Amino acid sequence: MIELVGVKKSFGKQEVLRDVSVKVNNGEVVVILGPSGSGKTTFLRCINFLERADSGILKFDGKEIDLKRARKREILDVRRHTAFVFQNYGLFAHKTALQNVMEGLTQVQKKSKAEATKIAEDALKWVGLIDKKDFYPSQLSGGQQQRVGIARAVALKPEVILFDEPTSALDPELVGETLEVIKNVAKMGITMIVVTHEMSFAEDVADRVIFMDGGVVVEEGKPDEIFYKPKEERTRQFLSRIIPQDSYVI
Amino acid sequence: MSFGISNFLDSLKSAFLYAPVTLKLTFITFVISLILGTIVATVRYYKIPVLSQFFSVFVTVYMGLPTMVALILYNLIFMTFYNDVAKALNINIPITDINPIIIGYFTLILGTTCSISESVRGAFRGISKIQYEAGYSIGLSKVKTLTRIIYPQMVPILLPGLQNSLIGLLKASNLVSAIAVVEIMTGALLPSLLYYSYLEGYVAAALVYWLIGAFIELLAYFAEKNSGKYLKKGTV
Amino acid sequence: MGNYFSFERFIYVFPKIISNVSVNFHIVFWSMLLGTILAVFVAVLRLKRIPVIGQILGVYISFMRGTPLLVQMMIAFYGIPIVFGSLFMNAFGINLNRIEPVIFVEIAIILNEGAFLGEIFRGAITSVPYIQTEAGYSIGMTGAQTFTRIVLPQAFKVAIPHYGVDLVGVFQNTSLVFTLGVVDILGKAKTLGAATGHTLEGYVAATVIYITFSLLLKGAFILIEKKLAD
Repeated sequence: MIELVGVKKSFGKQEVLRDVSVKVNNGEVVVILGPSGSGKTTFLRCINFLERADSGILKFDGKEIDLKRARKREILDVRRHTAFVFQNYGLFAHKTALQNVMEGLTQVQKKSKAEATKIAEDALKWVGLIDKKDFYPSQLSGGQQQRVGIARAVALKPEVILFDEPTSALDPELVGETLEVIKNVAKMGITMIVVTHEMSFAEDVADRVIFMDGGVVVEEGKPDEIFYKPKEERTRQFLSRIIPQDSYVI
Repeated sequence: MSFGISNFLDSLKSAFLYAPVTLKLTFITFVISLILGTIVATVRYYKIPVLSQFFSVFVTVYMGLPTMVALILYNLIFMTFYNDVAKALNINIPITDINPIIIGYFTLILGTTCSISESVRGAFRGISKIQYEAGYSIGLSKVKTLTRIIYPQMVPILLPGLQNSLIGLLKASNLVSAIAVVEIMTGALLPSLLYYSYLEGYVAAALVYWLIGAFIELLAYFAEKNSGKYLKKGTV
Repeated sequence: MGNYFSFERFIYVFPKIISNVSVNFHIVFWSMLLGTILAVFVAVLRLKRIPVIGQILGVYISFMRGTPLLVQMMIAFYGIPIVFGSLFMNAFGINLNRIEPVIFVEIAIILNEGAFLGEIFRGAITSVPYIQTEAGYSIGMTGAQTFTRIVLPQAFKVAIPHYGVDLVGVFQNTSLVFTLGVVDILGKAKTLGAATGHTLEGYVAATVIYITFSLLLKGAFILIEKKLAD
């Protein structure tokens, strides 16, 4: 289980997160929706300490960690039990696809080179990119890079994977293949927190949807509840702009 | 006065004989300065309090000082104060037994560290934030992220600048001739001193420097070819 | 330290030494002026890729960049009178062995700058994307018009920071000229030291002067860059 309580964060004078609390159960897939500037990406980054929150508590792995005052050791510990999939892929530019997946296995988990190679190759096979294992990121398409990014995350066998708009930097025709892979991750039963704009994906895979706006959680619930019976006016407005109305034939 | 071929060949031989002095001075200084320069740049990049401010002022001011002036100044300070300091520390080596090349090392290392630290700072700017985040996200520590992800990615960015630094250093090492170190140029002049004809010596010295410089360029060419693989598009 | 370094002596020698900075600036001025003109020719000729001339310029640049300036100065000082001595004697009645060493220093730096600035200019010109030239052609400009009105102004902006760094470098390189007996800042510090028996103050003064003027020159170019950026 991973739980965040009372997360606050400002950039200068702008309050990006005003008291956000979210609880995610083991194996649960949570999708966070919201307009740009709603703070959803910042929230995700705070979990992994890529952004330092101004206040808040992270309950994870049986520990309670102060997001503001967390020590080096605690941060490293959280990062070693979570993985992050970046909007812009974040592959190591000087390493091949295989080396990208191996890096954490050998350097963080101290696995032998042979074992790490085996795990990494399996992971690349699983995302359908084994034939590209010796390619550098600059030689791969965006969709391929993102699949390597997902393989890198999955290979570490983390308790939670955080996805930060994993398809929003992709060309439309490459979104499908990437979402397919993310759906497969969901089937594995790994806890996932996904920030995305892909409604149909959210509807298919999410156990729960959280709608954020203006730095607060506006509403949360099962996908059908949020999409078809939203309680809040703000959610309704947001959805009406995203879901094309005329695509529903009654 | 004219140009004597046999004098020139004598000078060339003598210049080659002293080339190892120049080469050692150049390469040892380069390696030490590269390490120190990287440390200085890293301290400044992470804005480590006090140290980073100190380095920033020091590097800025020190870059205003020509190597020749620094060399002469340090040599003079050394000559002036050595006896007193040696007495205070109970060192019994007479100043005449100390090779002035250590002043050369000191001066060149200090200057090159400053200039390389500026190149490394530039290279830091060439690496996007997401590379750090990706390192952190898979659980690498700060130091490991630097040594395994960031520094290796800097290599191709740094190579052209480092090549310039190395050739600049090769040429700057020539200045230690001013503090009575025998290197390529002064070595080439040794035969000239017998004949009172200097042009041959200087031309011979120029040739040897030129040759070493060309060799460095060749080295850099191969290094560049091999290190930048990941930046190239297209298939492997 | 009192015996070795006295503040009174420093105050005494400082004005005498700084007055000789004009010698350094004289060298910088002429070397940059003539070096820049030479460099424009070098850059344009290199870009035209003329056979033979291109190769000769390549060797020239490689020599200038690969050998120490001090050695180049010495070759100019000893070599020019040997190679051109009788020519100048017969044609103009000038004895090259008698002219001031500063002239040879300047010749060496000008040739050096022709190579260094030449490469800077060439790099700046090639950095302007080819589409700029095409755009010039597309509105009916001639090749020369496109080069002078479209390419050069953009190349100029690219070159300015490098030119500034190079100029500060030339100023710092003037610290070598005392080895040929030119009485610049360092030369003055040396002669004063020999006359008074106290050398340290003079060299400290030279250090202060070099650092100050280098930083001032650097600052001036940063200002110029900022002006151009607007």
